[in-house]
Amino acid sequence: MSELTYAKIDQTVLDTLRPATRVYWYTVALLAAGIIGGLACWIYQIFIGIGVGGQNNPVAWGTYLINFVFWVGIAHSGTLISAILHLFQAGWRNPIARAAETMTVFAVCTAGLFPFIHLGRAWMVYYMLPYPNQRTLWPNFQSPLMFDVVAISTYLTVSSLFWYTGLLPDLATVRDRSTGLRKKIFTILSMGWTGRMEQWRHYVRGYLFFAALATPLVISVHSVVSWDFALGVVPGWHTTIFAPYFVAGAIHSGLAMVLTLMIPLRKIFSYEKIITLEVLENVAKTIILTGLIVGFAYGTEFFIAWYSHNSLEISIFKWRAFGHYRVGFWIMVICNTIIPLFLFLKRVRRSIIWLFVISIFINIGMWFERFVIIITSVAHDFIPHAWGLYWPTIVEMGIMVGSFSLFFFLFVLFVKHMPSVSMTENKEVLVQGESHGG
Amino acid sequence: MGAECQVMGLFTDEDRAASTVKALKKTPWHLKQVHSPVPSHKLSEALNIKKSKVGYFTLVGGIIGFFLGFALAMFTSAKWSLIVGGKPVIALVPFVIVGFEFTILFAVFGNVIGLLTQGGLPDYKGLNVYDPRCSGDHFGVLAACPEAEKNQLITYFKEKGGVTRVFEPSPSADP
Repeated sequence: MSELTYAKIDQTVLDTLRPATRVYWYTVALLAAGIIGGLACWIYQIFIGIGVGGQNNPVAWGTYLINFVFWVGIAHSGTLISAILHLFQAGWRNPIARAAETMTVFAVCTAGLFPFIHLGRAWMVYYMLPYPNQRTLWPNFQSPLMFDVVAISTYLTVSSLFWYTGLLPDLATVRDRSTGLRKKIFTILSMGWTGRMEQWRHYVRGYLFFAALATPLVISVHSVVSWDFALGVVPGWHTTIFAPYFVAGAIHSGLAMVLTLMIPLRKIFSYEKIITLEVLENVAKTIILTGLIVGFAYGTEFFIAWYSHNSLEISIFKWRAFGHYRVGFWIMVICNTIIPLFLFLKRVRRSIIWLFVISIFINIGMWFERFVIIITSVAHDFIPHAWGLYWPTIVEMGIMVGSFSLFFFLFVLFVKHMPSVSMTENKEVLVQGESHGG
Repeated sequence: MGAECQVMGLFTDEDRAASTVKALKKTPWHLKQVHSPVPSHKLSEALNIKKSKVGYFTLVGGIIGFFLGFALAMFTSAKWSLIVGGKPVIALVPFVIVGFEFTILFAVFGNVIGLLTQGGLPDYKGLNVYDPRCSGDHFGVLAACPEAEKNQLITYFKEKGGVTRVFEPSPSADP
């Protein structure tokens, strides 16, 4: 970062907001097509019925819930990077914090769609809202599903406000270097921010409180998601390890997605001097830690199943590893715990290609982790004659492709129209003095 | 008293801006604002800025959220007082989750309200006496002086190593 100056940081980030190339708009169009495809599948499901999905007895939770948990998980490392690492004053988080926060907001938005989709009759969603009604029927706040509604809504609100607060000084920077309509838009968005010391005084304090509040929130949210499963008396689900296991898994997948997004972003927008190799290396080191925790959790589940002498637990874990869904299980184990171990090698950690490839493997592995957890336990629970298999249908796959398209569509639009790297936070880490003179 | 003129000294160096702020306090001119592209400890120290009170808003929000979360869960359960599995209708343990989430949510609402009210946002009028370089790589020290002393103030800022920008009083401005 030593070669950088305040002006160079501004210029590098502002250059990304120049009119987009044709390739960019082709990418946007392709992603929009994916969204339309997913939407068409959802509309088809609404007209025909939820039966067009593969969910049925005994597996009532399919890809909709898998994708819900997957996207909520992705959302977690944004807050880890922006809040927890802010509290720890880890300077290397600054170049990637904005993109990670953006990822969080869009991932929660994407995740939030799946309960609607899974509901079938999406317009009945208001049943979950506590309001006076003629039915005298109120939401049951003893239910983990209602915990989830409260937690996810809170997380979306808090992470969006946190993200916007962080954007304010940068919106002002863009405003001050724009003309015409863009200037008007950014003037409104920046709320008249002028960087007065009086504003900074409250901003710094408020941002610190945001970080302090978001930290326990991020841990609580994925714990609550895990209790959707752990509070059900189902073998393979009903365990106390679920909350920390889910939180570690969420951060593992989120960090991998940060790499997946940041590596192309760094290359396309020439961010090499801001998002240095050391920053990516630090993300990789954190992935080693989360990968080891996740691996330890996988092992603990098997150990406890064996140690408990509970025949149902032993049966389900044997079936996970060697039953119908064994391929998913081994993809999960290899991608999430074995492949990240290569990051112990400095050569791999400092290779952009390897980092990108490993991050993709972890993304795949984490999706399969949710598949294994959600599907195998209910497919093979207490009574053998009630056992049954589940495979996603083409409608579910279409909706899933739509969700991935939606996430990347929002992200791609954001990075071209808003500052995708925090100029202010990167200026903060520069050595103060003459060096930043423009 | 004649018309008041506002002059901004713009510095690329934080230390110079901070020393100018300290020195300006000893002059008859009135220090109006200091703008910075980043939060600056040196400028805060020079201005003797006190701790923000945003935290009180956050705390009040959190306390409201805590009670509201529990109250909502208890009220809705009491409205549907069906004992299931021998568990109490008002079961405090699961309500801790609702209470916790509401605490965080309302603390954040309090935090945002505190930020907006204390920081004076939105403040579009503030852009009238502002230089866009202050969001880039300059620290802006805005001072006011009588019209007759304008040139002296400009010279003062230049001697301190800054460049200057003068904001002429608008016709409708107070004298």
